[in-house]
Amino acid sequence: MSATDLVAKLTALLGNDVVRSDAVSLQAYSRDATPMFEGLPEVIVAPRNTAEVSKIVKFAHDTKTPIIARGAGSNLCAATVPLNGGIVMSMTNMNQILEVSKSEMIAIVQPGVTNLVLDQLVEKEGLRFVPDPGSRNVSTIGGNVATSAGGLRGLKYGTTRNYILGLEAVLGTGEVIRTGGRLVKDVAGYDVTRLLVGSEGTLAVFTEITVALAPRPEASKYGVAYFEDLAAAAAAVEKIITSGILPATLEFLDNTCLVAVEDFAHLGLDTKAGALLLFGDDGDLLSIEQSVNKMAEIAKASSGCRGVTLAADVAAAEALLYARRCSLPALARLSSLSILEDISVPRKAMAEVVKRIEAIGKSNGLRIGTFGHAGDGNLHPTIVLDKDNPREVAAAEKALAEIFALPLEFGGSITGEHGVGSAKLPYLEGKIGSANMQLQRNIKRVFDPAGILNPGRIGS
Amino acid sequence: MREKFSQDKLDRCISCGYCLPACPTYKLTGNEESSPRGRITLMRAVQADKLPAIDLLQESSFCLGCRACEPVCPAGVEYGVLLEEMRDITWQGKNRPLIIRGLFAIVDSKLGMWALGLLSPTARKRSAEKDLHLMYGCFERRLFPSVSRAVAKLAPEVSCSSDQGCCGALHAHNGELERGKEMAKALSEKLPGTILTTAGGCAAHLASVIGGERVQEFSQWWVKREIELKPILKKGQKVRVGLQDSCHLRNGMGVFAEPREILKQLGDYVEVPGSADCCGAAGSYALLQKKNSRKVVSQKIADIKALNLDYIATVNPGCTRQLVTELRRARVKTKVIHLAELVAISHNK
Repeated sequence: MSATDLVAKLTALLGNDVVRSDAVSLQAYSRDATPMFEGLPEVIVAPRNTAEVSKIVKFAHDTKTPIIARGAGSNLCAATVPLNGGIVMSMTNMNQILEVSKSEMIAIVQPGVTNLVLDQLVEKEGLRFVPDPGSRNVSTIGGNVATSAGGLRGLKYGTTRNYILGLEAVLGTGEVIRTGGRLVKDVAGYDVTRLLVGSEGTLAVFTEITVALAPRPEASKYGVAYFEDLAAAAAAVEKIITSGILPATLEFLDNTCLVAVEDFAHLGLDTKAGALLLFGDDGDLLSIEQSVNKMAEIAKASSGCRGVTLAADVAAAEALLYARRCSLPALARLSSLSILEDISVPRKAMAEVVKRIEAIGKSNGLRIGTFGHAGDGNLHPTIVLDKDNPREVAAAEKALAEIFALPLEFGGSITGEHGVGSAKLPYLEGKIGSANMQLQRNIKRVFDPAGILNPGRIGS
Repeated sequence: MREKFSQDKLDRCISCGYCLPACPTYKLTGNEESSPRGRITLMRAVQADKLPAIDLLQESSFCLGCRACEPVCPAGVEYGVLLEEMRDITWQGKNRPLIIRGLFAIVDSKLGMWALGLLSPTARKRSAEKDLHLMYGCFERRLFPSVSRAVAKLAPEVSCSSDQGCCGALHAHNGELERGKEMAKALSEKLPGTILTTAGGCAAHLASVIGGERVQEFSQWWVKREIELKPILKKGQKVRVGLQDSCHLRNGMGVFAEPREILKQLGDYVEVPGSADCCGAAGSYALLQKKNSRKVVSQKIADIKALNLDYIATVNPGCTRQLVTELRRARVKTKVIHLAELVAISHNK
């Protein structure tokens, strides 16, 4: 179908308010937060309710038109770039929090609600929406569910998938299904809810999401430890966890990040250190006092430790957290393009993998800084390059392929929390095996027989 | 007139989208193209010749230019500069709004500036010892001449000269970036030493051209004087007073604690929800985009009404005009007053 026909038919179906197709709108939706991926859609629709979503998907099904559901477009794996044209369905108009139940500790939301807005609302009830991806101030719950977004609290609290109880979703045919619900215990049928979490818009479009909430911790406390190298930091992390502490925060920065952050934010960090370890915990005052002090002691006693400081107050703790949060922008300022990667490895292999990443940077003549979640082995190697320098662009492509081979060698994963999208699809089969890949394709066909939902991504 | 954007400024954006929740026009529409990230995507498309520059016209006009996206940007994108470049590229020839052409014509001529000052009882001309000059502003001198009088009364050390032009913020924000810079430089030569201004928008523009060390916005300057202020009383009670931040003062210069510090001495200070958000005046915006400007301000008017304030203080003439107009329309009794005038009321007692 021609783009003009597509727009005319969708407008007839939904009205002018919901459909846009001017060159400017199309251009604005041609990318997400992933560098180097771009594709022009043919039309943008912004439905306001489940019935409209169902109508749009049925239309796409009947006309075999590709359709991509999009939240805030803050994903980092090119999961929402319309590489095949078609329809981009923006879910941001469906942004109502439908219910918060304090006694059941759940909330029911539309997919376009942002993570932070939900968390701020439930805070009034003494509750917390636990998943805290770095993009939480902008990313939507729908997007969080579609990528099973992670965050800084993964080790202690898990990720988005641990907090989704039920879904209302539109299948690739336009049919509306409900999975799970408000119950803690419910094993009726296959766990379709869990299957849809992380499905990146390839199986169904979420229209209503029931999330589990948790009590809000009374307080939190943080400290920082410096080590000669990352191996020493990783050894300390191992000792902390085997000592029986399950901390909320265990984050690290390598020396490249450390120097970039200090140059940018002037926090007084020890830039001579090979690695910075940020540790912390949340809970009631007494228990976090104990656990954080114990972590500090363990770090101090570890070999290769250059020093440990506990944050005296909230402001000091904020400064430490800021050091971690500003790692990416601090690195990004070094050149015109930064490629933020996301691999996950067993914690034991972490130090070795970071060393190998450094070597990959050197052999390809590239600057790579690595930061990440030391508690769960989720690493974010970040390549900083000049996008107008063809040598560096080619070197970056080669380096990326080498980096993605690392998790396979060490029993890890090609993506810990960002998702597969288009960026990692070439590496997916290598990670999950051909039989599993075939199963994913079969599953995709059951949910989306016409192959219209986010085509070209997982299982297409 | 420019044809291309500064590439290094475009390159800073990592498209993370952190700016989206801070943007008033994104809040109104939920549309990517009406967000700072979306607009930068459009600018990049123009830069790469994928989109004709003229296609930027609508978004360059819809954007308030409040720069609320800048403090929340982790990558330090200078969106305000990019917007000025966007208007410099698009608001040319017949695409320059008639109102803007008219305003330029007035402040570009000596006669126009003279006319603006005519029958406007601004501060009297005087020469003081200190190297500190009060800037009248172009439209502030016409619309709110009492502001400069209040400052002159408060500080005998301030020099007041009638021979001063416009600072060029009007030009820089409306498609004449280079001319705007030239005007700031010209003004800085006419008013040597430190320039004291009662307009947040002018302060930010001047500081960006001639350097922050030569520019003092009123609240910045006043808090350094460390003069204790008596609270203003009404029927024996401290007055209830709120603040409307100036976007460019807050987002461009990082000045927002200072006016609050002053207001806490003057009365019972109430933080209006969204006091940091744009009031929709946004320079010429209230004239060019009346409907959208009103949409942006509507929640604020309801909030001010609900708080039952005696005064809402402002630090920029555009905000004063916008709030006076909109509060009157909504029949809210709260009086809109420039911070300097409120200080003068307290000081005289």
